[in-house]
Amino acid sequence: MQKIFNLACGSFYALGAYVGVSAVGWYVGAGGPPALFIVPLALAGLAAGAVGVVVERGLLRFVYDRDETFQLLMTFAIVLMMEDAIRLTWGTAPRSTAGLYLTYGQLSFLGATAPVYNLIVIAASLAIALAIGWLLTRTAFGRIIRATADNREMAEALGVDMRRVYARVFTLGTALGTLGGALVIPATAAMSEMGVELIVEAFAVVVIGGLGSMRGAFVGALVVGVLRALAITVYPELEMLLIYLIVIAVLAARPRGLFGGAA
Amino acid sequence: MKGGLAVALGAAAVAAAPLVASTYHALLMLPFMAYAVVLLGLNLLFGYTGLVSFGHALFIGLGAYTGAFLTTHAGVRSLEVILLAAAVLGALVAVPVAALCVRYVKIYFGMLTLAFGMVFYTFLLKFYRLTGGDEGTPFLRPSLLGRNLDAMPKIDYLVGPYYYYSLAVLVLAALGMWRIVHSPFGLCLKTIRDNPTKAETLGIGVARHRFYAFVISAAYAAVGGALLGPPTGNVDPTLAYWTHSGNIVFMTLLGGFSSFFGPVVGAFVFIYLQNWVMSVVPYWRLIFGAMLAVIVILAPDGLVGLATRRRPALAGRP
Amino acid sequence: MTHLSQATPDLLRPHGPRYNGPRYNKRQFLKLLGAGVGAAAATRLGTPPAHAQATGPVKIGVLTIRAGVAAPVGAAGLRATEWWAERVNNGGGILGRPVQLVVEEESNPKDTVERYRKLVLQDKVEVVLGGISTGVTLALGPVAEDLGTPWLSWDGTTQKGVEETMPNPKWAFKSVDNEVEAIVAGILTPKYFKGIKTVAGIGNDYSYGHDCWQSYQAVLKRYIPDVKFVLELFPKLGVTDFTSHIAAIRQSKADLLMCSFWSGDATIIMKQAAAVGLFKTMKGVFTTAGGVHDSLKKEFTPEGLLLGYNTMYFDDPKGSALLKQFVREYKAKYNEYPPYECDHAFFNAESYKVAVEKASGPAKKWPEKAPVVKALEGLELESLSGKRSWREDHVQMCNFYQGITTHKNAYDFVTINPIEVVSTKQAMKPAGSKLFEWIAGWKV
Repeated sequence: MQKIFNLACGSFYALGAYVGVSAVGWYVGAGGPPALFIVPLALAGLAAGAVGVVVERGLLRFVYDRDETFQLLMTFAIVLMMEDAIRLTWGTAPRSTAGLYLTYGQLSFLGATAPVYNLIVIAASLAIALAIGWLLTRTAFGRIIRATADNREMAEALGVDMRRVYARVFTLGTALGTLGGALVIPATAAMSEMGVELIVEAFAVVVIGGLGSMRGAFVGALVVGVLRALAITVYPELEMLLIYLIVIAVLAARPRGLFGGAA
Repeated sequence: MKGGLAVALGAAAVAAAPLVASTYHALLMLPFMAYAVVLLGLNLLFGYTGLVSFGHALFIGLGAYTGAFLTTHAGVRSLEVILLAAAVLGALVAVPVAALCVRYVKIYFGMLTLAFGMVFYTFLLKFYRLTGGDEGTPFLRPSLLGRNLDAMPKIDYLVGPYYYYSLAVLVLAALGMWRIVHSPFGLCLKTIRDNPTKAETLGIGVARHRFYAFVISAAYAAVGGALLGPPTGNVDPTLAYWTHSGNIVFMTLLGGFSSFFGPVVGAFVFIYLQNWVMSVVPYWRLIFGAMLAVIVILAPDGLVGLATRRRPALAGRP
Repeated sequence: MTHLSQATPDLLRPHGPRYNGPRYNKRQFLKLLGAGVGAAAATRLGTPPAHAQATGPVKIGVLTIRAGVAAPVGAAGLRATEWWAERVNNGGGILGRPVQLVVEEESNPKDTVERYRKLVLQDKVEVVLGGISTGVTLALGPVAEDLGTPWLSWDGTTQKGVEETMPNPKWAFKSVDNEVEAIVAGILTPKYFKGIKTVAGIGNDYSYGHDCWQSYQAVLKRYIPDVKFVLELFPKLGVTDFTSHIAAIRQSKADLLMCSFWSGDATIIMKQAAAVGLFKTMKGVFTTAGGVHDSLKKEFTPEGLLLGYNTMYFDDPKGSALLKQFVREYKAKYNEYPPYECDHAFFNAESYKVAVEKASGPAKKWPEKAPVVKALEGLELESLSGKRSWREDHVQMCNFYQGITTHKNAYDFVTINPIEVVSTKQAMKPAGSKLFEWIAGWKV
């Protein structure tokens, strides 16, 4: 909506992951029942989104009226700063929530076994996607966002406070990123430079799906995820290369992405 | 001419460095000169055509690997051949990339170039039987102007003949770019940057000109990349990683993309600053990130812009 | 407070970054250059003589990784070096001179070569310690030879690199060949796991991962000639999700999985494998996961896996008093248990000290760099994890520790029992031989 491609989205994801690990660690250390660990995890992930406010108010808002390339460069600056900020706070050793991942047990169906936690995360993402969809289509705020995306000048002329909208949208986006990072972390681990690595995948998702489309992001993520898994089972050599090639193919054939709006 | 005198004096100062400066600082000038060549090309795209590429490290890597391959696998040591091959290969690879990318602007252009850069990086990493993978490929000492200098100690070679060779390449590259920028072609590029619609109505093929600018900048980047190889003695995939692309854009912005020599200044300051900061504090990325943010907000025309004391581009000025 | 944006429609606004005509100020450019050259000249005027310094603190350069997946390894090495330095200084230093560490970052080959040159040319260190990643150490080898200062590498050499770029090093001292742990695992696999017919392998997609897999295969084939290798996967370093890989491994129905992960991804794959019960039906060999040993919690790390700790096992019951003291103090300070990189680092630093003392002769005069190098060759000493030495061809000799995982300990993570100690005399190719020819020539 803001037409910024945020190179720092990977860094926010990483931040959510680290904050999530710390929150769970504190929670377990304070004697909380392990079965409920997902609650402090999710809350911490959401709370970490507050950093979006700081970033938006403190840095991004100065470049809104500049050329988009400056906005891109600003997000690159944020990437650099967040990388070291995370390292300063949490050190370089990988952080994880250890075995809590398995607390919910496993489920077997069709010959495959999956940890229940994974299913919880899938359900949560679907719920969040639906919630965002509802927000965009059914609430006043959502209408304002879509109006601004379509025609900023008109929306401003009609009395919308652009600064506030931008701030809220950016924070929302950041919170989604940090929440995502936090939710995924019990299955894996928070590692140094994960933000920088992630950006390439995230960007592949957005390009395939189309910049500016929520549905596109959803589909794009699905496409990337499934293709990745398929590649590993069928032709492991190709894996990551496959994603980039698809990105290029999509951009060549259908530059807006599968669902993208006007460039 | 006053301008020409100043530039000549600047070049003389650089030329004098190996004689007056410490060996280490003279060695630092080598990547500076290589990056200066890269940035002259990058700025043709950035400053003069208005397109910011986040994937130019692809061509740096391409040039570096060309040199490494030629010296290690093909037995070719002549630096002239290497640089020529790098430029040609850079331009060739740029043709399909540019053809695809110049259809888009701004964000899409940046993202697409980033994708291409990472494709190359992945290729370098994965096809390790060909490229050496993460270990890279050695870049043996090139012979200069037909003279094989293997017998010299490496340091003497680097701060002696290789240094002046690089300087000569930089000077030639700068002269070439100067001509390009001040030619009718360059004027067309500026018009396209400022107002593509108007340019189109004037009959300037927008996509075509951007394409040529891209290809030229790629050739420059490849030559600079080839120059980066010998001081390290090895080339590896990290040369093509996206943050490397980000760094060279940073350098351009730091120096000032609106001027011809701005990026060169940017490369110089970046390298020396990074060298100093890295030794003093481990969290140098934080400092550099903050620096970039400050530049973007307060001084988007870079150091040269500040020095000439014109007001930086303010928000919303038509 | 709302405010109207400009009325200019988007299309007519300038689209590129701002430009207002040729604006380089040559005077400014010249000034900047002059300043740079002047500063550089000033440093030159104050340069100390080129040969070894005999007074003042001993400057020791340390290269350590600070970012990325190998950052914990770099941190471990640095911590051990600092521990060593403190100990040495408390004991009066080296030949009475206190030790001063000059630390620089190891990142990519190009930048690390520059930091190395800075350490030697600018900081004038007596010796450089460190170097972990393969690409970097391969680039550093020739540079070290060129600059005439001893370089003791912690890690990072593989077979190919050793053969190609550092054939007869004078100043560079290389780490143990990195495939040794895969070779040891290959020797121990048939001892502990009977009836293995099919094997799957997973490793990081770079030289170490590939070399380990090839070495493991070569060794295993000597003991189990008709073993089949049914699957090989090489995810890139830094991948955090192995669900698909694990699914592929299960599908392959291999009897055993060999995994050469050494960083956070070892923990992740262990966790994700436990989530689907992979090791209930499959045997596991983790050649190097000892690098993250204290993150392998009992909850998701089963007993009965073959686990390798590279060259240092922190809980060795036969460990020396020095090891026990080191582990105790490391845990107290960092709340972690030390991984193997610590002993690489300690041995490098300590061997340098002993070599200097040896080369100083009866007069105890501070030696030049060349005699120190001579003294290093063949030097053996008691390091944190037993005896280590420098072979004549500048390669480290030491012991490798691997064993079967057990939950019977006082920690919340696994340890190993029984513990196999295999020396490099047995598991590392001798000087001048080629790896696969040497393996082919074993008497089995």
